[in-house]
Amino acid sequence: MIEPFEVLLRAAVHEVFSTMVGLALEPHPAAACTFNGQPQIASSIGFTGQLTGVVYLYTTIPFAHRITRHLLRLPDPEPATEEMVNDVLGELANMVVGHFKSRLTDRGIPCVMTIPSIVRGSHFGIEPVSQTAVDRLGFHHASHYLVVEALLRDSRPAAA
Amino acid sequence: MGPKILTVDDSKTIRMIVARAFKPFACEILEAADGVEGLAVVNRDKPDIILLDYTMPVMDGFEMLNKLKADPETRSIPVVMLTAEAGRENVIKIARRGVRDYLIKPFKEELVVERVGRIIDLKAKNEATAKVRRYDDPLHVLVVDDKPAIHDHIRTGLADTPWTVSALPQAGQAVDFCTHQMPDVILVSLSLAEGAGFMLFQMMRAAVKTKSIPIFALSVKTALDEQQRAQQMGFNGLITKPIDLDDLKVKITRALNLDTSYRYFLVQNDVLVLKLPPNFNPTTANDITLNLRPKATEAVDAGLRKLLFDMSPLTSADVTLIKLGLHVASLCQELDIRYTMIGSAAVSAECRNYEETKDWQLLGSYDEALAFLAGKPPGGT
Repeated sequence: MIEPFEVLLRAAVHEVFSTMVGLALEPHPAAACTFNGQPQIASSIGFTGQLTGVVYLYTTIPFAHRITRHLLRLPDPEPATEEMVNDVLGELANMVVGHFKSRLTDRGIPCVMTIPSIVRGSHFGIEPVSQTAVDRLGFHHASHYLVVEALLRDSRPAAA
Repeated sequence: MGPKILTVDDSKTIRMIVARAFKPFACEILEAADGVEGLAVVNRDKPDIILLDYTMPVMDGFEMLNKLKADPETRSIPVVMLTAEAGRENVIKIARRGVRDYLIKPFKEELVVERVGRIIDLKAKNEATAKVRRYDDPLHVLVVDDKPAIHDHIRTGLADTPWTVSALPQAGQAVDFCTHQMPDVILVSLSLAEGAGFMLFQMMRAAVKTKSIPIFALSVKTALDEQQRAQQMGFNGLITKPIDLDDLKVKITRALNLDTSYRYFLVQNDVLVLKLPPNFNPTTANDITLNLRPKATEAVDAGLRKLLFDMSPLTSADVTLIKLGLHVASLCQELDIRYTMIGSAAVSAECRNYEETKDWQLLGSYDEALAFLAGKPPGGT
C-alpha cells in the first residue's frame, strides 16, 4: 500500500519544486539527509478521511531561505523575512499534499486537508504512534537536503 | 487603472505571485486572506474577476463561491479557482457552482495570466499609458518570412527610419522570440510551409502579451485565396509583394497611430507653419490632410490664429497640391484663421492655370508672409 503513496509523494514534490521554485530536487536516501545540528524548519499539513495522516516537509533554515528567495524572486540584497519563509514553506507543503490528496480522492479514498502549520527547531524528530505507517523520502539540491515524511493511518475497512 | 483582479488566498506567497504575474498589465490587484475578507472586498471594490483558493481558514473558497453566486449583485463576477484541490469530485462540485476556469497549484504565472486574459481584457501597462509615439521614435519590426531577399528588402527599405528590423525564417522562432522580446509590429508571410503564418497569427492573438500587436500579412499579389483568408481571420492588413516600402511605412504608421505631424507642422513666431516636404506626393498629402484639422484646432485652442502654408520646397504644382491648398483655405475660413502661402514663381504661375486657384497670390519669403499675417485682416491672401 505504501509504495504507490511514495511514488505519488515523490512526483508531487518534483512537480511543485520545479514549477513554483525553479529548483530541481534530486532523490537522496532519506537516512543520509543529515542536517548536522543546523536549525531546521518543518511545515506540515494534515488530512483526514478514510486515510488519516500528516505530511511534513523539513529542511534547514538556510535552504528554506534559499527556496523562499527563489520562489518570490527576491532581488539579491533583499533578505527573506521569517514570515515569508513560513508562508512559502507552508504553501509548498499545501501544494505537495494537495497533489497527493487529490490522487487519493481519485482512487476512491476521499480526504480533507487542514491548513499548514510551521515548526522551527534544532533537533527535529517525528515519532509515530502505533498503527501508523511512516514513509520518509529524501531529496537534495547541491549540498542541501529536504525530507518529506508522511505518517499515514488507513481507516478503511479491511478487505474481505 | 484597468480591471480589478481579486486574489483570495490564505497564503501571502500566492497573493504575491499573482500580483507579480499581473505587474506588466494595467490592472489593480486586490487581496483577501479568506472568504470573509474576500466577500468584504467584493462588496467594497467590485472586482472584475476573482482568483479563489479552496482550502482557507475562517471561510473556505467553496462557501465564498456559494455566497457570491447567491447574491444577484455578485453572481456575474467571473471566478477562477486557483487551488491545490484537484480531486475530480471536488472539481466537479465546484465547477457546478459556475466557475469560469479551474487552475491547479502548482502553476506557472504565465498560465494564470493567459486564463484570466481570456475572460477580461488585459492591456500591457505601456500600451494603456503610452504617450503618443512619433514616427521617428525607435520601433521594433519583426519580419517572419522564409525568403532572405524579403528580409534584406525590408531592412534596406526601413534603413531611413530609426526602426529595428528582426527577421526570422520560421513561425516557431517567432513564437520563441516573442517570449523574450515584444515587437511593435509583425509582418508574417502567408506562404510559410503548412500554413504556419496563419497559425502564428492565431497564437499571437490568443496570447495576452501579444494579442494587441498589429500583424500584417505578406503575400504575393496573385495569391488571392490566402489574402482573403487573412482578411477573414483579422490580420491588420495586407502587404503585397513586391513590397512598396512607402506603403509599408504608411501602414505601420497608421497601425501604431504614430504621430507624423512634426514632419509638416511647426509653430514659429506665433504662427502655425505647414511646410510641404520636397518629396510631396499623394501619400504625404494624405498624411498632411489627416493631421491638418487636429493641428489647426490645437493651434486655435492655444490662441494662435495665423497659418503659413509653405510650398516653397516644390518646383511645380499638380492636382494633389491644388486640392490640399483648397482644403487648407477652407479649414482656415471655417476656424477663422488668418493664412497666407509662400512658394516659388514657377508654382505660382502654374496655380494661375487652374480655375480654382487662379487668384492665389503666393508670397516669396517668410518675412513677407509674417508681415502680411501681422498686418492684414483675416481671410487670406
